[in-house]
Amino acid sequence: MMKFQYFFKIIFCFVFLFFSSYVLSNENLNYKIKKLTLELRCMTCQNQSVYDSDSEFAKDIKIIVEEKFNEGRNEKEIKLFLTERYGEYILFKPYFNIKNLLLWLFPFILLVFSLGFFYKNLKKNLSK
Amino acid sequence: MISLVGFSSLCLSTFFSFLILVPKSIINLNVKYFFIFFRFSTFLICISFFSLMTAYITSDFSNYNVFQNSHSDKPLIYKISGTWGNHEGSILLWLFMISIYGFVYSFLSKSLVDYKINVLKIQNGIFLIFALFIIFTSNPFLVNAVEVSEGLGLNPILQDPALAIHPPMLYLGYVGFSLVFSLGIASLLKNNEDQNWIKETKKWSIVSWTFLTAGIALGSYWAYYELGWGGWWFWDPVENISLMPWIVGLALVHSLIMIRGEQAIERWIVFLSILCFSLSILGTFLVRSGILTSVHSFASDASRGLFILLIFFLTTGFGFLIFLIKSPTKKNNLHLLLINKTSALIINNILMIIAMLTILLGTVYPIIIEVLTNTRVSVGGPYFNSTVLPILLPGFLLMSIAPILSWQSNKIEKFRTYVMTFLILSLLVSLYSYFTDFNIWGFLGLILGSWIILASILSIILRYKFLISFSYIKLINSFVAHIGVGIMIIGITFSSVYQKEYNFNISSGDQINVNDNFLKLENIQILEEKNYQSLKATFSLTKKKELVDYIFPAKNFYPVSKMITTEAGIYHDWLKDIYIILGNEKDGRWSIKVYLNPLVSLIWIGVFIMIFSGFIAIFKK
Repeated sequence: MMKFQYFFKIIFCFVFLFFSSYVLSNENLNYKIKKLTLELRCMTCQNQSVYDSDSEFAKDIKIIVEEKFNEGRNEKEIKLFLTERYGEYILFKPYFNIKNLLLWLFPFILLVFSLGFFYKNLKKNLSK
Repeated sequence: MISLVGFSSLCLSTFFSFLILVPKSIINLNVKYFFIFFRFSTFLICISFFSLMTAYITSDFSNYNVFQNSHSDKPLIYKISGTWGNHEGSILLWLFMISIYGFVYSFLSKSLVDYKINVLKIQNGIFLIFALFIIFTSNPFLVNAVEVSEGLGLNPILQDPALAIHPPMLYLGYVGFSLVFSLGIASLLKNNEDQNWIKETKKWSIVSWTFLTAGIALGSYWAYYELGWGGWWFWDPVENISLMPWIVGLALVHSLIMIRGEQAIERWIVFLSILCFSLSILGTFLVRSGILTSVHSFASDASRGLFILLIFFLTTGFGFLIFLIKSPTKKNNLHLLLINKTSALIINNILMIIAMLTILLGTVYPIIIEVLTNTRVSVGGPYFNSTVLPILLPGFLLMSIAPILSWQSNKIEKFRTYVMTFLILSLLVSLYSYFTDFNIWGFLGLILGSWIILASILSIILRYKFLISFSYIKLINSFVAHIGVGIMIIGITFSSVYQKEYNFNISSGDQINVNDNFLKLENIQILEEKNYQSLKATFSLTKKKELVDYIFPAKNFYPVSKMITTEAGIYHDWLKDIYIILGNEKDGRWSIKVYLNPLVSLIWIGVFIMIFSGFIAIFKK
């Protein structure tokens, strides 16, 4: 069992080494535009992202996003600008704020609780 | 005329199903007549369903439903599938299947007669509720008030072979859980010591789960080539809804395995059985009422939506009420250890339920917010990707080591072989990821997928002697299913993480280069098909100066419904799909979108293996 854990530790060290050096490398403009527009809803289509859509609306938004990035705005500012204009409906990924706390925390709270419950039962079972 | 036959047999069938629910103190039916009446009711609903189908095949426009949803120009297969291509018809199909499941069960079951009658009574109760729903709110046999010679046509986007059989498959899955529900409730009512119901629940939940898998797979395959968005899963509300009973059904199938090693966890099994069917009805409600796309369209169809909501509360309420009152009192001593098979299965069950609840929350969240604050929000793919996937990830990790865990102790069997092969494999995957575009999701998906496949293959080799026989296949069946999942994970990872996308503006005769595949736009022409006009582009695909294939992306115009659909042109081989979508024309140049989707075929192969092993599991004792 100890050996087993040891091996897994090594593997995970490798994983973290790899992704820490690569996580910062995707900083070019196209990538940023793609990442943002994938999270925006094309308001004239049915459940399609701005990035995937070819509609007039999506084209306009893509142009706006590109312009804003060129002006030096960051992702957060552009999102804010777009939600002021079109409402939060345009975001596929709602903001992480007080109002949406339930939406974001619920799964993980549930996870913590149920694993805690599992752990309690496990200990009870082991002490028998 | 045919509508009259259909409607009267529907009513008669409802009457018979009511008759056998009448308490013993009023009419004393003996067992023989109970079965005769029950089966006769199924027979009648068959007549009713097939008379609607006949009305569609013969294009009998005196039926209002046929007039609304069919057209005499359509090919025969779409006339048949038109039967369930609309609300009324699909609910009749649903009803028909509830009855068929009960009918088949009444012949196949080897349980005690008392128990069997209870199951069929509950099944019949569900049947009755849906029959009343059809008669009062969604009658497909209404007669057209005026005489017409032509119908309004079926939504062209539904005129597709995969989508023609998609609803029956999906419904066989959803409705199958009604029988699982009945089995669970009846076992509570009887408090029986007989453990046969567990075997039956296992069998029928696997049947339903397999059909549901096939139905969902067909739907997403359709989305892949018909919607032309380059992907096959969009976390669309309607997709989420089908995924919820699927996940719970999967949890159910897995917790039924625990009986083999441990004392049955009956409470949990019954709970999941009830939950499965409740989610199926909830799904029907959300889709059918139109509440999902917008809260406002609910009002236009209030009676139907409210009726289904009523059905939902009736069945779910009834189910959970019985569950609370008559819940099995047997103390379950689960043999939990860190980590053995039982605890792995329980953790997996917990994760699946949390994933399901997250999907449910994300799907209904916009509705809740709109009702409470009157603002519209959307919850889409990015949300589900960043919540559901991390939650399921430890589950996949457990899945890769599940075969080597034992029921009794926390010792890991033959662990040296496993660790060594895992290590070598991980090293290979790391090297591969390092030298291609490294992506953390890509890496995780690859490593998990290959671990799962490898662990399953190793367990098969180390545990069972190879034989060419059906019993060998049955023995290794669960590992085969897991290999399917592993293959699917690799396919999903590749096709989503390493998907490449190109945009072009070209005119006829131009050649473009996509990763050393040369695509030449040969021509674009307009073709007249039976019930639509098609704008079809012909691309030739050459690789190393050799002609490989032609690809035909198209746009179809359906004059009857004045709609345009996109047909993606797909070149398909084992390693990749070249996926072309025809855009709009501007100054003689066409905008073309080309996706290079690597290893998509693995997704369908993986799903096919899962369905196959589900099918084998039905025959397993």
